[in-house]
Amino acid sequence: MILKVNVSFSYGNREVLRDVSFEARKGSLLAIIGPNGAGKSTLLKCIAGILRPRGEVRLDGIDLLTLGPKERARFVSYVPQASVPEFNFTIEEFVEMGTYFTGGSVRDALQKVGFWERRNESVLSLSGGEYQLVLLARALAQGGKVLLLDEPTSHLDINHALMIMELLKELKEEKIVVAVLHDLNLALRYADNLLILKKGEKFWEGSVGRLSPKILEEVYGVKVEFVRGKFGTAVLSSLYELPNL
Amino acid sequence: MRKWFPALLLLSIAVLFLGVYVGSVKLSPSDVTSSIIYGLKTSFLGEHPGKKPRYFIIVWEFRLPRVLLAYLVGLSLASAGVASQALFKNPMADPYIIGISGGASIGAALGLIYFPDHVSLLSFAFAILSVYIVYTVAKVDGRIPVDTLLLSGVAFGFMAGAITSYLVLTLGPRAHLTYMWLMGSFNGADWEKVRNVFLASLFGLSFLLWKWKELNLLLLGEEGVALGLDVDTFRKFVVIVVAVMSAVSVASAGIIGFVGLIGPHIARILVGPNHKRLTLNAALIGGILMVLADLLARTISRPTEIPVGIVTAMMGGPFFLYLLRKHKRGEVLT
Repeated sequence: MILKVNVSFSYGNREVLRDVSFEARKGSLLAIIGPNGAGKSTLLKCIAGILRPRGEVRLDGIDLLTLGPKERARFVSYVPQASVPEFNFTIEEFVEMGTYFTGGSVRDALQKVGFWERRNESVLSLSGGEYQLVLLARALAQGGKVLLLDEPTSHLDINHALMIMELLKELKEEKIVVAVLHDLNLALRYADNLLILKKGEKFWEGSVGRLSPKILEEVYGVKVEFVRGKFGTAVLSSLYELPNL
Repeated sequence: MRKWFPALLLLSIAVLFLGVYVGSVKLSPSDVTSSIIYGLKTSFLGEHPGKKPRYFIIVWEFRLPRVLLAYLVGLSLASAGVASQALFKNPMADPYIIGISGGASIGAALGLIYFPDHVSLLSFAFAILSVYIVYTVAKVDGRIPVDTLLLSGVAFGFMAGAITSYLVLTLGPRAHLTYMWLMGSFNGADWEKVRNVFLASLFGLSFLLWKWKELNLLLLGEEGVALGLDVDTFRKFVVIVVAVMSAVSVASAGIIGFVGLIGPHIARILVGPNHKRLTLNAALIGGILMVLADLLARTISRPTEIPVGIVTAMMGGPFFLYLLRKHKRGEVLT
């Protein structure tokens, strides 16, 4: 399975993505990183069909952009940036929404994230981390071959963040997994490949092993140092000039 | 406890019976049933079962159409309310918000002044025209962002209110009737109006019950697209359904507020936000509330009647505030 993307997107006259192209494969986790406003979330929304970009999004040769929402939902599932749940659905009803047009299994998805026993609780009672897991379950129930995640670990404590990343590590063996990540440490530890966006353009693409501190320094405009330890590589960073506060 | 439907259905039947039974002329329960059976036989089966029951005219020509009209209008407004709240993802949205009430008012004012025989038709036509204007103004590149739809609906409402006031103040002695009409009444109920509202609610409610999954996904906004919903197209259908259901209701009974807002809220408290159950339960609750409100409207200050819109607002306002106080935000507003 291979996902080939090459898209541009404008909001009115403002170009937000310019010829961003990349490939993602089953078996390797692709993390999209970059500064705020680089177009990372927009890129995911273009692939998920929420926005209508120019260009093409091909999954094993099928151009997903030519499909209607119902057909596309069978191929691509999308985990939005965590927000607060607004409606008093039960966890099971909420996850079931993923299966309306695809016919996936709610039970398998909820068991995968460990929420089957709690399926009758209201989503309003969930903590931020729990809600993120339930959002992931909804995408799994949808059952697409491509799983897109927009900052799945933001606002989460380290325990929930690691739980999500471990799940993604497992899922990449059966799906193409693409995640926008803000946490560079998690990106370096869990991703196999990186796509770096800056100001709406592709800045760098490659395997995590080839990433150097210099590249991150150019992208973010800060001093960067990699520290290797027992659990992987950590990114330390500092401003070039500390502001006089 | 989520199986409220049988209870609401029984309550509906009870309330409908009560609505026919209670009135200025005292009837016995058997007067009511024998008249209804006689009416059904003659009107629908084409039979001629002999002598008319003694209060047949009162039951069949006045009270039954009135009570049925009230029930169907309540049902239509509450189900259209469910649909607008899903459309706007906003629990404060009522079915009138997309231009219905403003347009209907202008139509009714013009009708009462110039074409007294066609008030219903004009208010219906102006309501539909207004929705079309609001919708067209709100459209951006073929899509309808709900924020702009809401804002253009509100702005149009103010303009329409100004036009209606102008018409009422400057034109003819009949103009004050506009305000009476606007406050709503089932006084002019007849079988033709019952049939119109029945057809509109059959069409609208069937659509909303059939599309319960789409309505759930509509609550998620753009995320709904990723789950397979063609949000833009579905929004158009919802606007049409809300417009038809509420415009036909308004044309038959004037602008009756609050039921379209309260019905869905009570249903949410009983059965939750899932449209699989919400729409039908809200519809029945709307019907029940409207029959009770009309019953109060015609009995509270006998022999005169007060406009039913005043009753729904007087009942609905405090009840709404009570709900807001009693429940946490998450329970009432979702």
